Amino acid sequence: MIARTRHLRDDRLVDCYVTERHGDALDPPVAEHLGDCASCGARYLELAQFLDALRAEGDADADALFTPERLRAQHQQIARRLEAVGRPARVISFPRQLVRRTITASTSRMAPRWVAATAAAGLFVGVALGAGYEWSAHARSVQQRLAVDSGADRSTRSAPVTVRGASTPDVADDVFLSELEMALERPHTRELQAFDAFTPHVRPIRDESR
Amino acid sequence: MNSDMRPLPDSAPVSPLSDVRVDAGATATPIPSGARGRRNLAGALSDDSRLAVAIRGLLEQGDMDAARERFGELVTLHQRRASRIAYQYLRDSADADEAVQDAFVKVFSHLTGYREAWPFEVWFTRILINGCLDRRKARARRDRWFVAGEASNADEARMSAADAAPDPERRLLARERRARLAAAIARLGGRQRTVFTLCHYGDCTPREVSAMTGLNESTVRVHLFRAARKLRGLLGGTP
Repeated sequence: MIARTRHLRDDRLVDCYVTERHGDALDPPVAEHLGDCASCGARYLELAQFLDALRAEGDADADALFTPERLRAQHQQIARRLEAVGRPARVISFPRQLVRRTITASTSRMAPRWVAATAAAGLFVGVALGAGYEWSAHARSVQQRLAVDSGADRSTRSAPVTVRGASTPDVADDVFLSELEMALERPHTRELQAFDAFTPHVRPIRDESR
Repeated sequence: MNSDMRPLPDSAPVSPLSDVRVDAGATATPIPSGARGRRNLAGALSDDSRLAVAIRGLLEQGDMDAARERFGELVTLHQRRASRIAYQYLRDSADADEAVQDAFVKVFSHLTGYREAWPFEVWFTRILINGCLDRRKARARRDRWFVAGEASNADEARMSAADAAPDPERRLLARERRARLAAAIARLGGRQRTVFTLCHYGDCTPREVSAMTGLNESTVRVHLFRAARKLRGLLGGTP
């Protein structure tokens, strides 16, 4: 028997709450004390209200989130996952689209190689043809020189060896180009020609200094 | 707190577990029945335990399809309660959903190791709690690098939608209350939180919690009381 003067401790009240909540009977002396002692009864009631509210709040939150639809979906998801339990692992086939894309990608990577190979071959052929043409031209010029040595004049011999072979047009070209240079060095407008006459030119000065 | 409350010693009876994690072999004392079995005769197997034994038999015979079929009944029996517990632990419905799924799949995979000495509920809850603790640890690691969220926006939206109050002010107050409650529970120590969650939201008796956690029953009661006292202090008497 619990004396009236000794109140129930809080841990005991929590015990009582847990016991009652699970549908078990309280110890008779404790139950009697809670019935008789107004202070302990009020404390117990307050504690029970607090814990009940806490529980109701938590359960309401969880129930709001885990609706029957969501629980059903969860159930189905669990069933799907259980299907895989105890079964040999499936070999997942490699995605076809990815393979095709890979092949396409590798094909597209091959194209520049062909282009490069073709360019290299073209370069090689070009160089070979060029070298062959140079060699034949050189052979021809040697033949010409031999022919000039046999009967041509000296000026013709000192001229650079060209494929054209004729020296007269070269002289005419030189004259023409000199005239062209002279014409370009002088001002083209009449107004400036007077100033040009007063202005000393590099060429006469250079010639005088020599 | 009342003045006549006996101050509990700081060192509660120490459990053999140093961590909060539920130990599968922590206690050797078999308990006769689970929460659902409390309504049955003492010593008799509860409905879910009987069902688990039947499924185990099917698995041992190699009848996987029938075992899967019957396991669905177990899922239906424990799904809601498991979701509540997991949600109280993780405070995120997506995480809780995954934890519950993982626990059921793990239970099915290891059902041949189930022994009747344990009520199925206790065995299952152990697995669930361990999964939740692992997830909490993983989240704590993640939160070192990322900003932690209290509850996902989707959760908040769902709860607001479920809230019957049309008044925005009342909904805001409810939201704040939820946040305050979550913060208060988060401030509980690991064992206190485990014991409180299992007793309060998991509908487990201190004895069952003792079986699940490996703590003494008296220690469970002490943790439960301390958790209640701390929550009352943090929430000011009203949740």
